[in-house]
Amino acid sequence: MKKTHLIANGAVFVFFLFMLIHAFGLHEIRRFGEVGSGFWPLLVLSSATILSFILWIREWRSKVREKEEQPEGNEGDSGGNRIKVFGSILCLLFYVIGMPFIGFILSTFIFILLFIFVLGERRKWILALSPPLVTGLIVLVFGKLISMPLPKGVGIFADFSRLFY
Amino acid sequence: MIEHYLTAFSTIFLPQNLLAICLGGLWGLMAGALPGISTSMGVVLLLPFTYAMSPITAFTILVSAYCGGITGGSITSILFGIPGEPSSVPTVIEGHSLAKQGRAAYALWVFLLCSIGGGLFSVFVMMGATPLIANFALRFGPPEYFALTILGLSVVSGLSGGSILKGVISALFGLFLAMVGTDGITGVERFTFGTSILLGGVSFVTAMVGLLAVSEILIEAEEPFKEYKEASGYKGMRKEFPKLSDFRKNLTNLIRSPIIGTIVGALPGAGATIAAFLAYGEAARTSKNPEKFGKGAVDGLMAAECANNASTGGSMTILLSLGIPGSNTTAMLIAAFMIHGLQPGPLLLSQKPDIIYGIFVAMLMANLFLLGLTIIGIRVFLQLTRLPYSVFSAAILILCVIGAFGLNNNVDDLYVMFTFGLIGYFMRKQGFPIAPAVLGLVLGDLAELSLRRSLLLSLGNPLILISRPISLLLLCGAGFSIIYPLIKKPKALKGV
Repeated sequence: MKKTHLIANGAVFVFFLFMLIHAFGLHEIRRFGEVGSGFWPLLVLSSATILSFILWIREWRSKVREKEEQPEGNEGDSGGNRIKVFGSILCLLFYVIGMPFIGFILSTFIFILLFIFVLGERRKWILALSPPLVTGLIVLVFGKLISMPLPKGVGIFADFSRLFY
Repeated sequence: MIEHYLTAFSTIFLPQNLLAICLGGLWGLMAGALPGISTSMGVVLLLPFTYAMSPITAFTILVSAYCGGITGGSITSILFGIPGEPSSVPTVIEGHSLAKQGRAAYALWVFLLCSIGGGLFSVFVMMGATPLIANFALRFGPPEYFALTILGLSVVSGLSGGSILKGVISALFGLFLAMVGTDGITGVERFTFGTSILLGGVSFVTAMVGLLAVSEILIEAEEPFKEYKEASGYKGMRKEFPKLSDFRKNLTNLIRSPIIGTIVGALPGAGATIAAFLAYGEAARTSKNPEKFGKGAVDGLMAAECANNASTGGSMTILLSLGIPGSNTTAMLIAAFMIHGLQPGPLLLSQKPDIIYGIFVAMLMANLFLLGLTIIGIRVFLQLTRLPYSVFSAAILILCVIGAFGLNNNVDDLYVMFTFGLIGYFMRKQGFPIAPAVLGLVLGDLAELSLRRSLLLSLGNPLILISRPISLLLLCGAGFSIIYPLIKKPKALKGV
């Protein structure tokens, strides 16, 4: 059992405990003769807190048992290529944050270029062709055909977006 | 009655109505398949075009779009792992797993045949038993709805994969998510922490896109090229046509699932999503190979597809016989009735039998036409899987973003989707199954409201839940569903 699992399950328990404490504040909110707003949250969150605590204890015991069997602590990480994952997360984060400001077209173009590069794509023709082609196709289908009000951005970026949709 | 059907058939076979079936079916398929456009939105967008049409042509195009939308939602679910509709989530879980094993064409055939089969079944039931189903659905009050949601939640053990404990925690997390937002009874904000983004609650589609599709791209980003080569190795559609024995082995499942779909579809507020999950859960519970669920179980895919398409007939039944919408899309159809000066309800069958029987026959023909139309749609979408993996996954993420944004045209939904993508990634890495969380999210709101309404009706007496025959029966079914796997497979307890 990896240490990360133990920490993650602890975090799950703390999350449910925090929400349970918050749910106690809802318990008294009700009108006469009604079941209050806190009834269902307390029922669900108390069950979740108890079960996540049991899971945490189980993981902890399992970790202790494994340590006894393997005192050298062989905690091999099968996490794969984390740089690609973190890179992908960052690309997506910048994409969703940047889109309202620079508009759908530019943000999508930049996102595709960065994302495929982060995933390990190095073929020049794919890096050169895919951002304009995919962006163009998506704008054509969603912006033109379906007339979805895709974000246009602000200022000069909005003027640029208006050239296309 | 026979002369009504003969008249309806002769009307629907007029060229303009056959064209309406083709156009409506294709539009519905596209709306269902493309993220950001739901079936109900697809029907709404068609409404203005029906103003100038005769009522029967208008309803032909609208019900064809409805059937097409429910079917189309599963194409992107299987190929890309993006649920086009909330009811397609079980299809994502099983169908996309099959696609990743190089069996995309096989999964698409199974989905197509089961969808059409489920749809046709519900149309035949609708034709023969409309008053019967309507009367049964009317007997559902809050206690019955609560019992139904408990029955739905009781299948968590079947969706949990390795650890039932993690599955239950995941389902409770889903129930928690369903509580976020404004309380439907007291109007109090819950777990919003002062943010306006969460005031309306967590949107099903946004959360599902994040939990299922975005998280999977992140998982696959760890080893992209290896995964892609396996996924792209699908064989041609003709070579992968399922054997008759595949269906014969699942005969009980194939009979049970459309029945569940039709009945649950007829319940107002329940609809295709709950129908698909209930049928999927039942398939998991009774399967000879429950360990395959979540990893490409064909019986799970069959159950979900039969049930979600069968729900269309159920929803239409309750709409036509009582004027009550069983789903979002049928609520939109009420607007169409009003536009054409009609009032759906008990009187419509006697006053305008040509419209009612015309709709029955139009739905029947739409389901048959969809067999051909969907094959065309599948061929178009299959070409996308030939893209280089990096470009393919970028395109999927963009479709996810459009899907989340298109719901309310609000960028806040993008942040919610991103957050759920990270939560889904965390859950997958830590071995928490995602399906129970989605199930909890889908059923949570209905479970809470129906429980609280039941207690309101009984002045706080919980015995109301077991004092009515239908709710007692459903709760017994839920109890059996929980206990049976524990008795049947004592070894499974070791993983708890």
